[in-house]
Amino acid sequence: MKLCIACGMPMTKPADYPLGDESKDYCIYCARPDGSMQSYPEKLEGTTDFLIRTQGLDRQAAHAAAIRTLAQLPAWQGIQKTMDTPSGD
Amino acid sequence: MKKTVRELQKEQTKELLLKTAYEVFSKKGIMNTRVSDIAQAAGVSHGTIFVHFRSLEAMIEEVVALYGQKIAMRTHVLAQSSGSLSDLLHAHLGGIMEFEPFYTRLVIENRLLPPGARDSWISIQSAVSFHFSLVYEREFGHNDRSGILLHMLFNMWMGLVHYYLQNGDLFAPEGNVIGRYQDILVDSYLKLLKGGRAEK
Repeated sequence: MKLCIACGMPMTKPADYPLGDESKDYCIYCARPDGSMQSYPEKLEGTTDFLIRTQGLDRQAAHAAAIRTLAQLPAWQGIQKTMDTPSGD
Repeated sequence: MKKTVRELQKEQTKELLLKTAYEVFSKKGIMNTRVSDIAQAAGVSHGTIFVHFRSLEAMIEEVVALYGQKIAMRTHVLAQSSGSLSDLLHAHLGGIMEFEPFYTRLVIENRLLPPGARDSWISIQSAVSFHFSLVYEREFGHNDRSGILLHMLFNMWMGLVHYYLQNGDLFAPEGNVIGRYQDILVDSYLKLLKGGRAEK
């Protein structure tokens, strides 16, 4: 079983993959409609919104938690260093 | 590349330390545990611990990350076959039950733990909230007349479960909160949810 490189979700069945393509290393929730992988800013925004929508976290706390949890994942290694700008929100 | 005997031994010792720390944390509490407690339980010297972990704080972060992943993964596997919200809530509790003493320590102590452990806590909750949102929207989403926001429903459920675990000494002194209250927790929550909908 693979873990999504961009969010860590376990991928156990074809429906977990973008367009059902099991050769991909990222999951359907980290893909754009055309099957390509979302960018870091897209994923950061999506993760922040997910934490707010499903757990009700404060926006700033959710944003900070999203940055820290994404930093643990293979797809985003080194990304933050290149995007190391102060958050606007 | 093939690992040397020495490398394999080092890995085995680290695995032993992580497992032992998990057991000691479950029993004594995380913040209440000293390095010497883990060393003694694992049958290694105090110094051996620091060959593998730079500090007790780093060890706590690693144990919580590892077992947090296991709990999240178990929840995910059980939740995947959940057709209804009732199935999902039982799956959630089933995932916790396998790790109940340790999970209870996390419920009680997570605000006091090092930042990395706090992040692992959020990840465990995200595995649940992800499935909760999918199942809830599938079952009630198009016909939700309760007017209660999704995250409030989720937090009400978590608040209920965590309250029972946090006060487990009062609800189930034998140490089996989930096993004893699983059905009544799920049934009561669903009745409230459905009752609230019916009144609107």
